[in-house]
Amino acid sequence: MESEQGMEPLTPLWGKRSTLRLPFIVMADVIRSRNLLRLLVKRDLSARYRRAYLGYAWAVLEPLLLAIVYTFIFTILVGSSDPLYPVKIIIGVIGWTLFARSLTSSTKSLSNSINLFQFARVPKTVFATSGVLTNAVLSIVSLTSLIPFFFISDLPITFNLLFLPLWLLVLSFTGWGIGLLLAPISCKVPDVLNLINFLIRAGFFLSPVMWTYDMFDRRFGDGWHAVVAHLNPTVVPITGMRDAVLGTSAAIPNYGYMMCFGIAILGYIFGSIVFELNAHRAVVNL
Amino acid sequence: MTVVMSLENVTLEYPVDRRYRKEKVKPSGVQNISLEIQRGEVLGIIGHNGSGKSTLLKMMAGVFPPDSGNIATRGSVSLLAGVGVGFHKELTGRENAYLYGALMGRTKEQIDGLIDEIQEFAELKHHFDRPLRTYSSGMKSRLGISVATAFKPDLLLIDEVLGVGDATFRKKSEDRVKEMINESGSVIVVSHSLGLLKNICTRILVLKDGDQIFVGEPSKGIEIYASNTVPNN
Repeated sequence: MESEQGMEPLTPLWGKRSTLRLPFIVMADVIRSRNLLRLLVKRDLSARYRRAYLGYAWAVLEPLLLAIVYTFIFTILVGSSDPLYPVKIIIGVIGWTLFARSLTSSTKSLSNSINLFQFARVPKTVFATSGVLTNAVLSIVSLTSLIPFFFISDLPITFNLLFLPLWLLVLSFTGWGIGLLLAPISCKVPDVLNLINFLIRAGFFLSPVMWTYDMFDRRFGDGWHAVVAHLNPTVVPITGMRDAVLGTSAAIPNYGYMMCFGIAILGYIFGSIVFELNAHRAVVNL
Repeated sequence: MTVVMSLENVTLEYPVDRRYRKEKVKPSGVQNISLEIQRGEVLGIIGHNGSGKSTLLKMMAGVFPPDSGNIATRGSVSLLAGVGVGFHKELTGRENAYLYGALMGRTKEQIDGLIDEIQEFAELKHHFDRPLRTYSSGMKSRLGISVATAFKPDLLLIDEVLGVGDATFRKKSEDRVKEMINESGSVIVVSHSLGLLKNICTRILVLKDGDQIFVGEPSKGIEIYASNTVPNN
């Protein structure tokens, strides 16, 4: 062969990779594609609010308005007089929205961005990641809706607030991992999308958005109910966020933390493996 | 000559929807394609609608993995498929160009160096900084061709987009493709416009129902394709 010096060798497009290394490969792909990720996040953010007059203010207004509505409903139902209830709702809404949107956007990433990976060889995980990152940015913007309450309700400003972004990270990471697991399956079995839509609606009530960990604790104590409740990966993070802002400390048992982090990590390991093994073939179904 | 891509018995079968599985129709897709693409070559692919041209291009681009067979490439490959594929309608032409570049794995600095040339070639003037949703379809495809060819992949796959725009732009994009070939990039073109293929191709691949029925001399290929066009009852 002539004139091949200086050229890279002919490499197979679909080489064999060891299954156990896939979670690391996915991480490396995402880190390597950070320039693309930055542009995709920028695109998603500007596309979402570019034409709205209020722009990003919507990210702040949404949880505020929801908090007003839920506080109203809750006062009718329970007659609650907890002055901090709106704050708890806002935190619940922000946390839940982040998890729900991370999960949906990464589950739908393959079908939604098919026209982006059709013309160049890009790691398909990047599209699942960009949706999650976009929502993470939005939820940080939404957190500013809490600022007035630090004056109105005289909330403590402590280092505990640093746990807020940490719990947001846990929520989006969990949604991302489970989404990666479901994305290729949803291409072959579209019913998964219907199931997700249902879970998101039901999950809103089954997660501590309108209720708090204490309310649950008082009603059910720590029997099997509590174990089942901790299977919901949003319970511990949302409660953690509330504690960080209000300076309280909910009585979350150790197994609660272990389940929360366990689901996040196992979700990612299985999710990244299933995604890498199936996503490329699954897009043929779209 | 250097081989930039090799295909070895590449087969892909589209899944048949559960409702139609009983009908026992031959599934669509492509079967047993073996091919080597040399550096600097322009390969035309022709075939009827549904003969597997776009499917083959998508496998070459690394979008779809084949069911069986091997594909190996050397250097960067990119696929120009359809008007505005990969573009976002709320973003401006400039922002879309940056996004496209990033999808092709280019860094911001590399795109910075090419952006003026992209704007120039696409003839968009002030529209380059307007959102894509305000573009006409001709403007979108001019932007598409301009961006895709600017990044000079080692192998460019073009699916049915060369025949767009007015006569002057068509001439310009033809020249651009030829220029790419001179700079020793390789091009694979899917097109129904036989005149264009005859003009620029060095080889032609004819597909029929997913089978490769001919590879070689362009005029011969077009002849075979034409003889197949007569409905064989």
